[in-house]
Amino acid sequence: MEKDSRPKWDNPTQFLLACVSYAIGLGNVWRFPYLCQMHGGGGFLIPYLLMLFLEGLPLFCLELGIGQKMRQGSVGTFSSINPYLGGVGLASVMTSLYLCLYYNIINAWSFWYLFNSFQSVLPWAECPINTNRTGPVEECERSSPTQYFFFRETLDISSSIEVNGGVHTGQALCLLLAWVITYLFVVKGVKSTGKVVYFTATFPYFVLVIYLIRGVTLHGAANGIKYMFTPKLEQLANPTTWINAATQIFFSLGLGFGSLIAFASYNEYNNNFERQAIAVSLINSGTSIFASIVTFAIYGFKRCVCVTRLLLLNTFDIAEDNITLDTALDWVRELNMTYPEKFAEIADQLQTCDLEKELDTAVEGTGLAFIVYSEAITNMPLSQLWSVLYFFMLLMLGMGSMLGNITGVITPLRDFKFFSKMSNELLNGIVCLFCFLLGLGFSTPSGNYWFTMFNDYGASFSLLFIVFFESIAIVYIYGMKRFEKDMEDMVGHRPNWYWKIMWKVVSPLLLLVVITFYIVGYIQGGTPTYHAWKKELGKTVVTEYPIFGQAFIGLLLASSISCLPIMALYVFCRKRRHGRRDKRQQTVMSVSM
Amino acid sequence: MWKNTFFLFFILSACAEELCKPDASNGYKVRLSLKTALGDDAYTWNKNEMFLFQSTLAFAMRTSHTGQSYEISNIVVCNETDRVSFWFVVTSPGNPTELVENYIVEEAIRKSRHRINSAFLLTDKTLEFVGILPTLATPVSYDTPPWLIVFGVLMGIIVAGIIVLLASSIVKRKRKTRRTDEEEADEETRVKTMDNGVYNMSFSVEDKLTQM
Repeated sequence: MEKDSRPKWDNPTQFLLACVSYAIGLGNVWRFPYLCQMHGGGGFLIPYLLMLFLEGLPLFCLELGIGQKMRQGSVGTFSSINPYLGGVGLASVMTSLYLCLYYNIINAWSFWYLFNSFQSVLPWAECPINTNRTGPVEECERSSPTQYFFFRETLDISSSIEVNGGVHTGQALCLLLAWVITYLFVVKGVKSTGKVVYFTATFPYFVLVIYLIRGVTLHGAANGIKYMFTPKLEQLANPTTWINAATQIFFSLGLGFGSLIAFASYNEYNNNFERQAIAVSLINSGTSIFASIVTFAIYGFKRCVCVTRLLLLNTFDIAEDNITLDTALDWVRELNMTYPEKFAEIADQLQTCDLEKELDTAVEGTGLAFIVYSEAITNMPLSQLWSVLYFFMLLMLGMGSMLGNITGVITPLRDFKFFSKMSNELLNGIVCLFCFLLGLGFSTPSGNYWFTMFNDYGASFSLLFIVFFESIAIVYIYGMKRFEKDMEDMVGHRPNWYWKIMWKVVSPLLLLVVITFYIVGYIQGGTPTYHAWKKELGKTVVTEYPIFGQAFIGLLLASSISCLPIMALYVFCRKRRHGRRDKRQQTVMSVSM
Repeated sequence: MWKNTFFLFFILSACAEELCKPDASNGYKVRLSLKTALGDDAYTWNKNEMFLFQSTLAFAMRTSHTGQSYEISNIVVCNETDRVSFWFVVTSPGNPTELVENYIVEEAIRKSRHRINSAFLLTDKTLEFVGILPTLATPVSYDTPPWLIVFGVLMGIIVAGIIVLLASSIVKRKRKTRRTDEEEADEETRVKTMDNGVYNMSFSVEDKLTQM
């Protein structure tokens, strides 16, 4: 009875777009370009694509398949395979919950920047003036307007994780808005999510194309793109490159959160998930590469070249026409040779602007999205329009991923009898409210440090663990033969040799290798550190986490991984209790007979 | 007599030349960025433009230092470069060998900065007096920050949407329960007439019993 009343996607396209919207998130825009740059530009594509076929694609297909077959959330699915494995599903839910808590703060920042774009002068284009009206605010002068706007006006960041304060009202309001919108999108479950993904999946491409066109017409774009794509094949000898490729593919596809299982559980029984898995994985990787082209085109156009040119013009009194943005760096070399003493005076000001060095110090994460990109935008004409477009795109990417994660939490919850009695709207509302209230902690002055901690430890290592056990559970405990028969039942043909080899041997092995590297990295890395913003210096400083911070990291890691043994133990105890009760009943019945 | 006048003028101009030199104590460096400001419409810097500069500066000195009638000859320029930058000093109208103190010059320029800029179609950034910082404009302060307005609009729309959705689902559910109540009443009468009242278990679809 329950099966037939399970909500469904209106058509397979909705499911496809939901997966695309979920998989393509901020990581495609801010993590992949960074990795590409750090690991040899075009050469990084080799390990990346290899890992896609060895690990990403098979595991993606596996999760979709099991979800479509079992038609339950992650907890129910793995409990059905074997009651002792329910912990795998529970660990997924915990990790999804952690992600839901901290991910929406990024959307809050995007909203903040979006709303602040509706001004004649973008607030991060210029330093605000200090109270004496003698000059710009000191902190801003020492760093840069974009950094000042992000660290001071957006985050109001404290100097370390130990120093705290009250909630930033602007941030809190934007977070509230982000959660209210998330609630609106999931309030009716798949029925509402299915309609929203048409927009969240397609709009980012529209903006990326526009940005690509804008980017390649910018000055210096060719340099940026050339730098990115010149392969430095010696990086391939570095094992970190391969590990980073494996983890990037893994995290980028969003495996292990239970969201894919949840999405697939709302499918028609005969949906061709194999073809959709291939499509989504390829689209995801393609988008990463496309986004990095755009990023590098814009990255190449750096303001520092303008600053260098001005410095040269003013120090050496050369006519404006003679030095252009292209020739600025050649002039640097020439003037260094002809006027060495005069050049030495300004040498330290020029040191910070060497295009190669700039591109070498890659930026990733929130730094890239909110600082570097917004700086590039201020230098474009009509910057308000570009700013609105860009942050709206970030919002779509972030919201799409949020939908998947929230579904990954709610769908398993509905599998429990207690929650299934509640209406859709009420359960979704409670989950959203709960996450919002806890998420408010990230809008405090030290919130960004907690955010980084959650981002680095809350949903990284535990996922590898979860997916490893998932694949072992499905392939060996559920049984390859049974899964093959299910696939034949659902799709119409058995999986071919590629899938079988990957599922049985290659993917689990690769996961084991990556997990080992992570553990070794944690042990060798010593005390975990974070980047603390120092007001007086105007830049970030590497600081060690205090004791309570390290304890919390341990808690984050342990809480999701320990779900597996704890759940197994719980089931074991319950079975023993029931077993004893059944035996007693049987003896009673035999006596009464 | 002409020779004497000529000689005096020569001495005076020579003195003036000496008064004006780079890093002069009471002098200022001026820097113009014509191409940056005006692009293709930039005019060429020539002697006429320099004449305008001197006259504008003399005007500024007159306006600020009331009582003194400065002439164009009181503004002495030197060290012109291709950048379009040069040094200038201001001599006192009463005594051409004496330089006017720099703070008086600075005040004059500050007062008439906007007029000087307009004469050359330039701004504070493109017509620089090195050492004289432009008075910064008062930061624009809003009663309601603009971001709050946009936020309010968006929040209002979203909340309205949620209320509409929730209301529609509540209405739908009420209608459904009313209909199922009616249906149940019909079914009961049907069951009573057709069956013996025995519910056959073998035809129920209970997945829970057949789980793996």
